[in-house]
Amino acid sequence: MGTMTFRKMGKIFDPYRHQLPNDCTQFAQAPQALVLDDRIRVYFSTRAVDKDNGKFRSHIAYVDLTKDFRDILGMSREPVIGLGGLGCFDEHGIFPMNVVRVGNAVYGYTCGWSRRVSVSVETAIGLAVSRDQGVTFQRIGPGPVLSASLHEPCLVGDGFVKVIGGKFHMWYIFGTGWKRYAADAEPDRTYKIGHATSGDGIVWIKEEATQIIGDRLGPDESQALPTVVEIDGRFHMFFCYRQSFDFRKNSTRGYRIGHAYSDDLQRWTRDDGNPLLDVTAGDWDSDMLCYPHAFECEGKVYLLYNGNEFGRHGFGAAVLE
Amino acid sequence: MFTWEKLGKVFTPQQVTGRPWLREFAQAPCALLFDDFVRIYFSCRPAPDARGQYVSRSAFVDLDRANPLVVRRVAEQPILPLGGLGEFDEFGTYPVSVIRDGSEIRAYYAGWTRCESVPFNVAIGAAVSLDGGTTFTKLGKGPVLPYTPDEPFVLSGPKIRRFNGLWQLWYIAGRKWKLVDGRAEPVYKIRMATSSDGIRWTKLNKDLIESRIEEDEAQASPDVFHAGDKYHMFFAYRYSAGFRGKERGYRIGYASSSNLVDWVRDDDKAGIDVAPQGWDAEMVSYPHVFDLDGRTYMAYLGDQVGRYGFGLAILRGTLE
Repeated sequence: MGTMTFRKMGKIFDPYRHQLPNDCTQFAQAPQALVLDDRIRVYFSTRAVDKDNGKFRSHIAYVDLTKDFRDILGMSREPVIGLGGLGCFDEHGIFPMNVVRVGNAVYGYTCGWSRRVSVSVETAIGLAVSRDQGVTFQRIGPGPVLSASLHEPCLVGDGFVKVIGGKFHMWYIFGTGWKRYAADAEPDRTYKIGHATSGDGIVWIKEEATQIIGDRLGPDESQALPTVVEIDGRFHMFFCYRQSFDFRKNSTRGYRIGHAYSDDLQRWTRDDGNPLLDVTAGDWDSDMLCYPHAFECEGKVYLLYNGNEFGRHGFGAAVLE
Repeated sequence: MFTWEKLGKVFTPQQVTGRPWLREFAQAPCALLFDDFVRIYFSCRPAPDARGQYVSRSAFVDLDRANPLVVRRVAEQPILPLGGLGEFDEFGTYPVSVIRDGSEIRAYYAGWTRCESVPFNVAIGAAVSLDGGTTFTKLGKGPVLPYTPDEPFVLSGPKIRRFNGLWQLWYIAGRKWKLVDGRAEPVYKIRMATSSDGIRWTKLNKDLIESRIEEDEAQASPDVFHAGDKYHMFFAYRYSAGFRGKERGYRIGYASSSNLVDWVRDDDKAGIDVAPQGWDAEMVSYPHVFDLDGRTYMAYLGDQVGRYGFGLAILRGTLE
């Protein structure tokens, strides 16, 4: 796909410059776009700190942008969706939430986080529905629509949904397991990208533990947040990938944007030997690129993404030329 | 009302030696018939760790087929390993329900993990035995029954059956975590799923048994048995708070159905209750009904939900 070129538009939202809900002060992670008549509504996850233990909780907020990304028209003023109840899969955070129009409604596929004892976290994918153009979302139930199963033992999350030919497709990630890479290290996880289909967006059939994107970094590659966009009759997937340990501070092992393409939504060809989007020395995305989200608006294809420190400092955009 | 004649406690884990993983508890009995013995699977616990936390293991005891009050053998090892780091069954496999499937034996079991805001979560896994039920190999590292929008957590207490050419799984699903004196206690209800292969399940998504003693009544151990021209379910129920003592602890309830889906509860028919004194004077729970050479037995737990073992009762008359 040598003809595809992205032009970076720079950072377009900085969480430190805005008042965020739930006393959140930093992070605008995993931007996800809903295109409205006069604006682009970009949902993101921002973080509050638990006073009693210092751990983070992720909350969903949105910012309304002009369609050229230059001006901010508004921000979410009330909780877009609250966190789950005691013991629920999304009690300790929602990160990310993918939005997709279904008739007059907007479906929000949440990745819910709940804390564990022997490992840090478990995740699952929930569904909440908005009837007010995405201002607020209501869960269809307290439990998830997609969660761990026989051969996907943990960490089902990062759902991205598209309706193609009347059928719901979800690309998501599933954990293959937790591992200590050093005797005194906290356990690290590895996850891969999978695919599920559904007739109604609620009951899903997984391709149980079928990794659809090959590894570039070997079995310890973690792949996250797939996003799919159709360009000239071909489906393109962007995602992020990294090593499974020592990836937070070591730039050479941290997240980069990956790419694959498919003509039939079944077989995907990975094509990121020469990255379409790479780090820019000295800039906000000098050490890391992660959490891509591809969408089309008025004939152009955009990629929203996070830079250094997993989006602590906000998100930016690139446009396909 | 059915008439169950209690035969007494059959197995006392505290009497077993040389098995540090079997120190106390013999919970959730489940019978499997062999030519000359009845194997009762159960779940047990080693001593708690330094923080007072338990893991549950599962094993079996073989009872004499001619006289099931006689213990002939105790498993040398647990039948299932605990799950690996971060897996759903890392901290316990309890309870277990088994069924023959050709030359194999299939087991459905609940796996336990530990959580931060609530003490635990539970999910249902599957395993198979190729050595006649001595050891089981998990079908996968994850659960066979996923959480869903209306069954958000604590999927436990599986009971596997096959009727009319289909696999049926009765189980419990958590409804809420209720804070009682600062401690999170789960409320759960009896549910059901069906499958053509025992792997891919379709949930009924319905409470099978109406709650009787309070809205937050917890229901467990849905043990279904076919006799006469209908299906019988014995189960256990308790109050949502203060249930570790006699007044609000587990009792055994009863319901019947003609179609496996619609159940009529009638606890007055259960015919088994706490004793005036003895090992089951405070609570009775986890009923399991099985036929043995023309007689119908119920295995069940007594005080402290089986800490001191399980007992047997024999049915006088028939289930109808």
